[in-house]
Amino acid sequence: MTSPHDRLGISPDAAPAEVKTAYHAKLREFPAHTHPEEFKAVRAAYDAIRKGETAKDDDFLNVRPLEVTLDPDSLKQLREKALAQIDISLDELIRETF
Amino acid sequence: MTRAVGIDLGTTNSEVAIVENGQARVLPGEDGDLILPSCVGFSETGKLLVGREALRQYEAAPERTVKSIKRWMGTDHKTLLGDREYLPHEISAIILRSLKQRAETALAESIAQAVITVPAYFTDAQRQATKTAGEIAGFEVLQIINEPTAAAIAYDLRSEETERVLVYDLGGGTFDVSVVEITGEVTEVLASHGNNRLGGDDFDRRLQLHLKELFRKQHGMDVPDDPVTNARLLRTAEQAKIDLSTHAFTTVREAFLGSKGKTALHLEAEIARTDFENLIHPLLDETLEAIDRALSDATLQPDDLDRIILVGGSTRIPLIQHMIESHLGQAPTDGIQPDLCVALGASLQAGVLVGEAVDAILVDVVPHSLGIAAAMSTPMGIVPGFFSVVVPRNSVIPVSRSEVYSTLFDSQETVEIEVFQGENPIAEENVPLGSFKVEDLPSQPAGSVQVEVHFDFDLNGILTVTATEKGKGQQGSLIVSNTGVHRLSSHEISQARADLEALFEQDEAIESSASDSPIVTLSPELSVLVDRARTLADSLDDEQADELQDLLDQIEAVAEGNSDEDLEVLQSELEDFLYYASREN
Ligand SMILES: Nc1ncnc2c1ncn2[C@@H]1O[C@H](COP(=O)(O)OP(=O)(O)OP(=O)(O)O)[C@@H](O)[C@H]1O
Ligand SMILES: [Mg+2]
Repeated sequence: MTSPHDRLGISPDAAPAEVKTAYHAKLREFPAHTHPEEFKAVRAAYDAIRKGETAKDDDFLNVRPLEVTLDPDSLKQLREKALAQIDISLDELIRETF
Repeated sequence: MTRAVGIDLGTTNSEVAIVENGQARVLPGEDGDLILPSCVGFSETGKLLVGREALRQYEAAPERTVKSIKRWMGTDHKTLLGDREYLPHEISAIILRSLKQRAETALAESIAQAVITVPAYFTDAQRQATKTAGEIAGFEVLQIINEPTAAAIAYDLRSEETERVLVYDLGGGTFDVSVVEITGEVTEVLASHGNNRLGGDDFDRRLQLHLKELFRKQHGMDVPDDPVTNARLLRTAEQAKIDLSTHAFTTVREAFLGSKGKTALHLEAEIARTDFENLIHPLLDETLEAIDRALSDATLQPDDLDRIILVGGSTRIPLIQHMIESHLGQAPTDGIQPDLCVALGASLQAGVLVGEAVDAILVDVVPHSLGIAAAMSTPMGIVPGFFSVVVPRNSVIPVSRSEVYSTLFDSQETVEIEVFQGENPIAEENVPLGSFKVEDLPSQPAGSVQVEVHFDFDLNGILTVTATEKGKGQQGSLIVSNTGVHRLSSHEISQARADLEALFEQDEAIESSASDSPIVTLSPELSVLVDRARTLADSLDDEQADELQDLLDQIEAVAEGNSDEDLEVLQSELEDFLYYASREN
């Protein structure tokens, strides 16, 4: 499997400026409108290097966790939505009884 | 080699540009004007009017004229013009067709390909509608690109040093901010944010309301709420707004806005720049928040910016320049052509795509996050309806991403994949793009069947979503652009194109028959004056009424071809008459 550094044709200890120059050279070689697949690979390699990650082409094998930390805001929104629904049905219930 | 144009299809103004020998230039119309107002109408005789001519009749005939149609792109809002209803992309197609004609006349060759710009924050449906409009106009649309990005390409840095640039684009109807990194010929967008419904039109409307309020205070009654009066006040408001960009005060004078008994009522008021600034300040605060979000998405601080570029006519408002400068601690760069740079950049990209000698490499991003509705386990138990992002906003396009999801119930046989676009953690609060099912999943306990969801977003904004069950390989997929309301079949597009051609041809026929006939049509301004004069006639004394009748007769004689007096002279006489007559009353 090609490493991100290989993909950009640079050594694993390349300095950030070198990484960028190599990335720009690859952009010239593989414009997005004529070589979309190569472009995506180049971009993914560039992103990976900048994030300081190693190649994880099998990233998709990691199942997206069903357990996620929920931020309290979204939880509140959801609860309010649920409550709003109950409100409406109560309202309708009253209307229907009368 | 065939040549391709770049088009800025604006809310208020549109332009078409071309690259020649590596240089971009905006193509003028026959009148020499580089700007085509984005306005379409039909004359009294049913002649199609596009641009300045249509705008000229807007005040007199708002029911036959439409402007700012871009605000409705991607919806099925209908506009009645003459005897037919038009969808937003059909009106836009008329503007694009007119720009095509302009380019073909200026270059004396036929032009079939174009790059068209849209606001960076446009949604998928709005982009599709724009592309469809281009196709109806007879173009092959090579690419839809973002307006601030186009402006950045046109901004010629000519330096190998990397510069970080903030592009602030506030036009007639939309607002965008993009943070861009430019290194030599590479223009890379780091983040974009915006508001598709914020621009000069909103400032005009606020000032229009303010004028109505002043009228009410002066006369103790409301301005009549009819289309012609509203259109007049809107034009007056826009003019006052523009004056206030260069003057601290402006005087608004509108005669005959209404009447009380036999007295005609006018509006005469002085507006201070500060009055106007107070009206628009809250809207501008929103744009500063958008700047902050774009910077934080790009993980940059204000000091990291090397340059600020202002694009769009509304950035001529001094308050905007001051607010940006004090917010970012840096003055915007001068010397940008705020009205033309978007079209110039679009033409450069068009040049790149058809192989002209243009050095420009563009790396752009998707403005909205894309994902699906998924259940998540929470402290309240498993809650469905969360928005699970697959392609985060500001990802570079084209892009492919996958995520794996698992079943929620024991022996679950189908999963429904609902695709959304937006930033809200609640799926339903985002824009739905479509949905599909994967069926016949193997019967297994909850959580043990895995479905890989793959998003593929190409340069043209076409999103393909595929879901694959990982064991048996059951698949489902959705090509989002094909499900949108405005994705027409190629047959429908050719039909619409034929209709449009007919409209333009019929227009030529009317034009030539009109020039054969000696009958002169009154200008829209003059028609309004004549109408106003007729309503006033009753409230005049005999002497004045005779004088007025005499003037109207003379005008009518010219209109019927029975006199060759100068209409302009008669028009100014009528204006004077109306002005003084109304003063006396
Ligand atoms: N001197 C000025 N002061 C204030 N506003 C101005 C001035 N000149 C033009 N405008 C406003 O700028 C707007 C038009 O700008 P521009 O042509 O950049 O918009 P557009 O490209 O058509 O719109 P958009 O990009 O939003 O689709 C109008 O609302 C117009 O009133
Ligand atoms: Mg614009």
